[in-house]
Amino acid sequence: MVEPIFDYQFRLILIGDSTVGKSSLLKYFTDGKFAEVSDPTVGVDFFARLIEVKDGTRIKLQLWDTAGQERFRSITKSYYRNSVGALLVYDICNRTSFDNIPLWMSEAKRHIEPHRPVFCLVGCKLDLVNNGGKREVSKEEAKAFADQHSLFHVETSAKNGLNVEEAFRCVTQEVFNRIQSGEYKVEDGWDGIKTGFSRPSGLNFNLVEAEPAKLSCC
Amino acid sequence: MFRSRSWFGGGWGRPKNLHSLEHLKYLYNVLSRNQTVSEHNRSLLVESLRSIAEILIWGDQNDSSVFDFFLEKNMLSFFLRIMRQRSGGSSFVCVQLLQTLNILFENIRNETSLYYLLSNNHVNSIIVHKFDFSDEEVMAYYISFLKTLSLKLNAHTIHFFYNEHTNDFPLYTEAIKFFNHPESMVRIAVRTLTLNVYKVEDTSMLAFIRDRTAAPYFSNIVWFIGKHIQELDTCVRNDADHQSQNRLSDLVAEHLDHLHYLNDILCLNITDLNHVLTDHLLHKLLIPLYIYSLSSNRRRMSNNDLVAQSLSKVSLTPKTSQNSSPKMHDVTNGKVSCVVALFLLSQVFLILSHSPLVQTLAWIILKTDKTVFENGVDKLHDFFEYEKQRERQSSEEEASGSVSSEKDKDSSCSKENLLYEQANINITDEEKQRLVDPMEGMGSVKNHPFLETVYEALDCTENDYAALFGLSLLYAMSSNRGVTSDITEQVLRPKKSFISKSSTTSKDVKYTYNTFLVEKMLQIIIFSCQPSCRVRLVTLELALKLFIQLTVCDGKTVLSESHRHTIETARVQSMALLRNFYKSEEIFLDMFEHEYCDMLKGSLNVEWLCMDSAILLPPTGTPMTGIDFTKRLPCGEVERARRAIRVYFLVRNLVLTLNGEVETQLPLTNPQSCVQIDQALDLNNSDLIACTVVYKDGTKMRRFLVIDILQLILVEPDTKRLGWGVSKLVGFLQDIEVAGDKDDSRCLHITIHRPISGASTNRVPLLNAKFVFDDNIRCMAAKQRLTKGRIKARQKKMQHIARLLEIPGQSGPPSPAFAGQGGPYTRSSVRPTRVENRALFNINRGPGFAAPRRDSSPGVIHRADESIRRHRDGESPSRGANLKIENGRRDARSRDNSSSRVRSREGSPRMPRPRSEEIPLELIKKAPHSIIDMAPKITIIPRPQTPRVISSETEPSTSNEHPKEVIKTEISVSEETSFIAEENGEDDENL
Repeated sequence: MVEPIFDYQFRLILIGDSTVGKSSLLKYFTDGKFAEVSDPTVGVDFFARLIEVKDGTRIKLQLWDTAGQERFRSITKSYYRNSVGALLVYDICNRTSFDNIPLWMSEAKRHIEPHRPVFCLVGCKLDLVNNGGKREVSKEEAKAFADQHSLFHVETSAKNGLNVEEAFRCVTQEVFNRIQSGEYKVEDGWDGIKTGFSRPSGLNFNLVEAEPAKLSCC
Repeated sequence: MFRSRSWFGGGWGRPKNLHSLEHLKYLYNVLSRNQTVSEHNRSLLVESLRSIAEILIWGDQNDSSVFDFFLEKNMLSFFLRIMRQRSGGSSFVCVQLLQTLNILFENIRNETSLYYLLSNNHVNSIIVHKFDFSDEEVMAYYISFLKTLSLKLNAHTIHFFYNEHTNDFPLYTEAIKFFNHPESMVRIAVRTLTLNVYKVEDTSMLAFIRDRTAAPYFSNIVWFIGKHIQELDTCVRNDADHQSQNRLSDLVAEHLDHLHYLNDILCLNITDLNHVLTDHLLHKLLIPLYIYSLSSNRRRMSNNDLVAQSLSKVSLTPKTSQNSSPKMHDVTNGKVSCVVALFLLSQVFLILSHSPLVQTLAWIILKTDKTVFENGVDKLHDFFEYEKQRERQSSEEEASGSVSSEKDKDSSCSKENLLYEQANINITDEEKQRLVDPMEGMGSVKNHPFLETVYEALDCTENDYAALFGLSLLYAMSSNRGVTSDITEQVLRPKKSFISKSSTTSKDVKYTYNTFLVEKMLQIIIFSCQPSCRVRLVTLELALKLFIQLTVCDGKTVLSESHRHTIETARVQSMALLRNFYKSEEIFLDMFEHEYCDMLKGSLNVEWLCMDSAILLPPTGTPMTGIDFTKRLPCGEVERARRAIRVYFLVRNLVLTLNGEVETQLPLTNPQSCVQIDQALDLNNSDLIACTVVYKDGTKMRRFLVIDILQLILVEPDTKRLGWGVSKLVGFLQDIEVAGDKDDSRCLHITIHRPISGASTNRVPLLNAKFVFDDNIRCMAAKQRLTKGRIKARQKKMQHIARLLEIPGQSGPPSPAFAGQGGPYTRSSVRPTRVENRALFNINRGPGFAAPRRDSSPGVIHRADESIRRHRDGESPSRGANLKIENGRRDARSRDNSSSRVRSREGSPRMPRPRSEEIPLELIKKAPHSIIDMAPKITIIPRPQTPRVISSETEPSTSNEHPKEVIKTEISVSEETSFIAEENGEDDENL
């Protein structure tokens, strides 16, 4: 059995209120399917998918789906630390879920420290609005909030797959960019970013780069 | 980052390495190719599952990519799929699967990994999966899997198991289905699990437990226990011949397990849960079955039906037993025997300490009177609450300090006082006075159906079968932490009250105690001191323990004069009993010392006693039942002697405790006064016999043999001081065996046995070697000395015992050795010579003296000290039997007392001053053969002599010209020995 070949592995986490559609979003992204009925997530769930960034570098995404329910808050917290990016998910038709976004964001920031995660604000259930459902969070408002906090923003539908790929892609690209710029480094003991060994000669320069930095401080 | 290499390291890693990602990948392939379990692949699957657990645990600690792989491939879903298959051999695979999960959960340390494994109800679906529980192995692994999960419970993880929204808690609800599983391991696992669940501090989960499961679960447990003790009772009833001891001990152990489990729950202090549990226990088990069985008194048969009605009414009271099964009724209809009930209640009070429970129970046993009882047991608790209230009020009144309120209480609450008999002793400083007529108490006890039964059980006229349990119940109640003193006071402990005199501000302390019960105890004690009585040692010891609790308050004994007299009578009788067995046979001494050591090993532990099922069967005498000596009656003359010795020790100990004194006469050998190994001894002028000690292994050592009063000492010369020796081996003369060598007249074979001691059971001889002397004369001398030393050491101890027992013929004069040390012989003659005796011993002394080099420690007591001390006992019997009692008491009196008495006598001119060479009369009488040749003795002189003028307590060293005579130089600095010489003198005088 052949393992998929990749250059990097990023670990991302999906957070947001319960029933906003985190699991559905993830299921569409990894499976390309939408489940009409979905049980609430108990604890955490795990998925993986390979995507390519613009320059063709292959990235494996490890995705932690967390339970939005309050009773699992203490459990899900322990998954923040090893994440490099977070998808802040809200329901376009649920005002409260958007109002809670700052809380989710600050909690994620606090637990991912000292690392600075890449956030993407993801509105879900766009299909409901298009089918005449009541939108409670306007696109403009969400965009404004995202700009203010320098987040990506995207509105998606896990039912028809609209923008689902986008949401994950923008986070992945940004993480990759930050690696390129040297802001992120592969670190031992942190599973946010890992390297893969894609090609026989593919010794990564970041790996080389990271080493002197470590040595110099010794 | 290098560990991530292994993702692709397949080519150049170590594929054979079992602990590697590669191996996990391989196993993943195996699983994915064998998704259907069949006869053919089941062994492969089992092996794969086993290895997966191993790799995951290794990876958890060493390589995070291993778990990543497990996550990515969602391998847990394979597990579930395998489990759900019902095809051939699935139970075989299920066992492995459960084991794998068990190992996984037990060992995963990474919390994110653990949480992942617990996520998404996979584990819950495994828990509710219908395994084939008829398969023992599946059952065992399933239940230990549940137990492992319960160990992972905490405020965070509880949410994986308990779902607030669906009100669902499969881990708990599935587990308690097995609470009564025939396999004890399963039951224990269920109990551990429930305790782990209760421990989690999660309000809504605990509310679920209380509302949805507590009542049925607890009532089931209670019913199960009830059924269980019925079995126990049947076993006891049908086994008068001790045929099923094993079964009985299992049943008793089971009951203890139940109680410990209940106690564990109660100790978690979960108020709601404890409330439900206490309610069930009291109303469905403890009151209707345990306590009700106490009312099964022959004399109150007529009441029984009534009682039974009221009790069963309680057990079916709707408010407390909504979930009670009709079976419950069957249980309460039966009763257990009074003996079993007392035994079980003792266990309850020894183990449970949850105050609301034990308090109620104690109150019901001690204070319920007949009227309340007849009203029905459901009123018991109300009445209890009412009593509490009233007592609180009255104590407030008392606090106001007025005599009148005290009196008011006495009159208005006379009913309460009638509940139990009481005798009051008013101790105003020295004066003791009895306040209440005990006869009144005798009458009122009849009003207490339960307490009466307990008291009746204490009757030992026929045997002490029930008495032991009555005692243990009373003892357990009085020592239970959860029972407050206001309940036990007066009944089980002395009551202390302050009486303020109206005229003065000073307050007198008034102590009262339960005379009726104390008299019961005294009866048992007196019974025990009779020959051929049927009271076991353990009963006596327990009675003594309880007696102390009943009568000692604030470190003082609040015993009335007449009761003290009874104790004294018991003491005299115990001595008289033992005197029957006093023989000059050697075995008696060994027995005496052995029993003393045995007794020192520790006093009775009532909790341990009540774990022993053997006491549940009628008392027996035969040791062939395997029952401990103290827990059965003596069998044969030797055991009767042992028993008499023990009774003597126990009663003696009681007397000492009541008088607040410390034992000074026992053990017979005072270890502090013995020569120790590596001690330097002054051996100038001592009899030293040079010899070569040849051990069995052939090693040879050159030593000098010194024979002391009690000890044989092998010394080697001290390199630092001329004439001194360092002891290299010390043994007691009483433990030696000497035999000549038929081939070599210069040789002796000497065996020194180890002294009996509580600490070691090592019976390997201390020394077993051949002694080679310079010539046969020395050899013969040594043999003679050793043989006589042994005889005399034993005689001396026997005489000591005789004095302890106040045996008239033997007790008067001291043995030769003691006489030798006696002050009166030497006092006058020594005084002049003392000055020159700057050193530790007297130059003019007879040969054979040795003194350890202990000049710097003035407090050292020579072994002779204690032996001389013992003369005090001996003194009075010689004066006449009628003085015995008085003497015994004086014996126990403080030392200062006697020493001052002695001191005054010392000056008495009529005291004869026998010449030291004179042989005391009694020696001739008793052991004529041994008088002439007195064994040389070693004197330990603890400190440089103090002039007599300064301290009359110090006995000066003495010397005697006569080489044959031995004079013991004795200086005792220790206060314990202060009056020794004088006592000797008195003895002589009496002769």
